[in-house]
Amino acid sequence: MTTEARTGKKDKNRSPVFTNKMYFFTIPALAFFLVFWIFPVLQLFYYSITNFNGINYHYDFVGMKNYVKIFQNGTILNSVKITLIYAVIIVVLSNLIGLGAALLLNTRIRGKGIFRTCAYFPALFSAIVVGFIWSYVYMPTSGMIASLLTMAGLDGTSFNPLGSFQWALFAIALVEVWKSFGTTMIIYLAGLQTVDESLLEAGRIDGCTEWQLIKMVKIPLIYPTITINVILSVIAGLKAFDFSFIMTNGGPGKSTKTLMFQIYEIAFNDQKMGRASAFSVVAFFLIIMITVLMLFFMNKKEVEL
Amino acid sequence: MKAKQLISLTCVTAMSVSMLAGCGSAASTGASATESTKAASQTPAQTPAQASAAASTTAVSTTTAASAAGTSAAGSYDTQALEKAGKITLTMMVSGTAYDNDFETKQLPELVKKKWPNVTLEVTKLPDDNYYTSLKTKLASGECPDIMLVQPMYAGSNACYSLADAGYLAKLDGLKCLSLNKDNSGMTYKDHIYGVSEGVSILGTYYNKSIFQKSGITAEPTTWDDFLSDCAKIKAAGYQPIVMGDKDQYVLQFGLYQLACSEIYSKNKDYDDQLRAGKTSFTDKGTWDHVLEMYKELYDKGYIDASQSLGLSASQAITEFVDGKAAMTFDGSFNAAALLAKGAGGDFERGYFPLPGDTGTVSTATCLSAGPAVYANSKYVDGCKELLDYWFDGQSDVWKAFTATGRNIVTYGEGADSTPNYALFKPFIALMQQGKAYHWSNQAWPAGTETTMEETFSEMVGGQKTTVNDITKGMQDKFKDLLDD
Repeated sequence: MTTEARTGKKDKNRSPVFTNKMYFFTIPALAFFLVFWIFPVLQLFYYSITNFNGINYHYDFVGMKNYVKIFQNGTILNSVKITLIYAVIIVVLSNLIGLGAALLLNTRIRGKGIFRTCAYFPALFSAIVVGFIWSYVYMPTSGMIASLLTMAGLDGTSFNPLGSFQWALFAIALVEVWKSFGTTMIIYLAGLQTVDESLLEAGRIDGCTEWQLIKMVKIPLIYPTITINVILSVIAGLKAFDFSFIMTNGGPGKSTKTLMFQIYEIAFNDQKMGRASAFSVVAFFLIIMITVLMLFFMNKKEVEL
Repeated sequence: MKAKQLISLTCVTAMSVSMLAGCGSAASTGASATESTKAASQTPAQTPAQASAAASTTAVSTTTAASAAGTSAAGSYDTQALEKAGKITLTMMVSGTAYDNDFETKQLPELVKKKWPNVTLEVTKLPDDNYYTSLKTKLASGECPDIMLVQPMYAGSNACYSLADAGYLAKLDGLKCLSLNKDNSGMTYKDHIYGVSEGVSILGTYYNKSIFQKSGITAEPTTWDDFLSDCAKIKAAGYQPIVMGDKDQYVLQFGLYQLACSEIYSKNKDYDDQLRAGKTSFTDKGTWDHVLEMYKELYDKGYIDASQSLGLSASQAITEFVDGKAAMTFDGSFNAAALLAKGAGGDFERGYFPLPGDTGTVSTATCLSAGPAVYANSKYVDGCKELLDYWFDGQSDVWKAFTATGRNIVTYGEGADSTPNYALFKPFIALMQQGKAYHWSNQAWPAGTETTMEETFSEMVGGQKTTVNDITKGMQDKFKDLLDD
């Protein structure tokens, strides 16, 4: 018997279509999500207070020792520093180049479609392929750039970015920018479509130059798009692993050991799952903190029209 | 309407249950050693790999009888186990990349079937990284293959000693083939043997004989001073003496361990054991600081060009060598095929010698290779032992096919002196038989110590302010830290 028939009153919150039984349909997806995503993350917190080595299940609880150790020997400071530098480089370059390309390719030029496709092309390749090919581009003496330098008459033999302690990080960040600016460009293009043409006309009538139009009209109106792109780039930067792993393997020395790479190394090379879990927990809180701060800061700047 | 709802609900429930069944706890088949019950509460649902979840659904619980057999007193085993067993399937997992007419995945199962028609051997070959992860997952879920590949001593993720300590390996002391090998120490843990090595692996110095001739060098160097003066001659003749792919930092081990054998192990064979017991330290004067100084000298004098090598990957360095751009490179016997390939340098003759130290006698970093081991909780421990005894007996069909691949350097049995490239390796085996061969240092260290050594050494030769003392201190701190747990 329905509630209505029993009490004579209509339950305002009951929808005739979305009954309570509908919640059961979420069980498969929810169960999947819980078991394969949430549970392992919770396990991370559990293992971070043990000395589990990945193979032997006879581990002991060691309390906060893992956390103390990673702060003590400076590994986390080194990794955080490198990851933040990497993130800043790719956020700035990827967004600038993406925005520039979007502004250019939003104008009425012939072959716009082809140019947009070409710009997006690198994003389609897997990071492994891109990293592998670029390590031959950067190869000293016989690599692509070094050979071009020699052909142009400059000294090609001293060009060795992947072997340089100062430039290796910048070199691999550049590869990530090359791969990802297509994606940021696409999102900016979408954002630019929402800019009302009448506003730009009004601006032109008032005597604005193109640059003033961009600075005063277009960019403020696409702040939400900028927010999205910056947040996505920051998250991608903080999760940086692929190119450190493929191109430099953390080297030379320790100069490209990003957070995720360091976690991988501690877990699988040093065989210290417990220590790596502690590292992951710290990284987890760090990334959340940075992302929340950024979201908060950027949401405030959005312009309502 | 109500019937439809009921049917939908039933379907949903059925779907959820069937999905979660795969993650059921097979705690009784958990990877815990046979003694302890502490780890029994670990369920395989914890592993994110869906594959393992699916595997445990169709799991056949390994019986405790098999584990009892595995841990029974080492010594004789049932040498007719396979003949007596009915139709059975043995599983084996190895690491590496499959090649044409691959030995492990094609030839071995066929030959096993020929000898024992009732036995089917299933072999999986995975690239290194996949192999380690897969093995760990399988050990954790209790679904380990009967035979797996292990590395000697403490080397790597599938180290013999670590797996034996965790109780995953069966004792192999009764195997007859083991007595054919002079030295099984790399696979011996707490007085029991847990793995059968597939041969020996060598670290040495490959060289381009024609460049040596053009530089006026007539014989391989036998002392460190000879080696340095040879490098000087090569440099004077206009060639790059040594090329190394230091971007892949692990290659630093190839030269350093050869020197360690001459400078440290030949003077004190038990150095690494003493390290573990705390009686010596990496920072002791005259040990690793001496080795690091010697290797650094090669960079200081430009015999290895750090401005190039730090940007070259290992495979790019091998290409430089076969293209005839450098006279020497430090590498292992495992890379012989790549280094003997024909490159832009044409068909020059290669040589191979152990890097000499300054002690007067030449030692070599030649030691046991990885090899198969038997899973302690396998249902067919004795059967696997019989199979291994047949494979490594030095004369069976399997042995002959095994040596014919040319991928292993064996020291006994038929075909030992006719494996491809044997001429290159003969001097090293001779040194080994004279007792002048020692293990590769990282095999005795907890995994990760060598990473610190490689990192800090690259910093030093890369122009950062790191000194040799920083390196030895870093190694000691890391060693203590890793051993602590």
